[in-house]
Amino acid sequence: MTCADLVLHLSDYIDGTLAPDERAEAEAHLAGCDKCHLVLDTTQCTILLYRAAESPALDDSRREALLRRLERACRRSDDPL
Amino acid sequence: MSASGPAAGLSRLDEVACLESMRRGDPTCLGGFFEAWGDRIYRLSLRLTGDPAAAEDVVQEAFLKLMAGADRIEGRSRLATWLYRVAYNASIDRLRELRRTAPLPEEEGDASSPVPALLVDFLSPEEMLEDAETRRALDEAITAVPPTLRAAFLLRDVEGLSTAEAAEALSVTETNLKVRLHRARLLLRERLSAFMAGRRERREGRA
Repeated sequence: MTCADLVLHLSDYIDGTLAPDERAEAEAHLAGCDKCHLVLDTTQCTILLYRAAESPALDDSRREALLRRLERACRRSDDPL
Repeated sequence: MSASGPAAGLSRLDEVACLESMRRGDPTCLGGFFEAWGDRIYRLSLRLTGDPAAAEDVVQEAFLKLMAGADRIEGRSRLATWLYRVAYNASIDRLRELRRTAPLPEEEGDASSPVPALLVDFLSPEEMLEDAETRRALDEAITAVPPTLRAAFLLRDVEGLSTAEAAEALSVTETNLKVRLHRARLLLRERLSAFMAGRRERREGRA
């Protein structure tokens, strides 16, 4: 497996969706290639970072107002036209 | 994986009963659904549109549709997938309005992967997330990724949907979803690598 092959299969490697023989080839390549190992590490770190990063939620007052609007809309949907 | 599927505590049976009652105009269950899904839809939409008001509109639209068309959520289309699809489509519509431009780039034709160019060590995720500059860099990097690729990344890697679920939510094939996800990951990695390289240079320059 070349570096280009490894990059092509990187997501499948990370997701565990490579066929067993391809996975073995990828692991053999990674064991001897510092550059690809770094690409793998930093890609996995990228995923972890976004998974762990807090993104802003609706602030409480807007959240409450929106829920009240939706409750009113829900009740109205029951009104006979 | 933190959040997968309807995760948020309702069993399939409760879900069906709750959807049915909302459709009849009883909002008793609405609070629970909102608790489970409101913020998740908001965050996805905010990261797609970059606009808090648009993201709030998207949450409202998704819930109005949920209450109006709950009977259409069935079989293959589980609640999670259904809600994410509505939220994605509404977000892309808002994004188009915000940009007032020609159709968004689809980024589908080009299946080639970005070639990793920058090779820089990252710090641990914990160390990186403690740093305000890094958190800004995360926001800037994801904003720079085309929305169709960004959505694949957010649904799979952040929201924890399976490939099949994310593909259904975005109305693409699983193969296409995987291509988008791979490209998004590599683009984000490259941008964060550039940030880390710059950060290291700045710190060494000061030392």
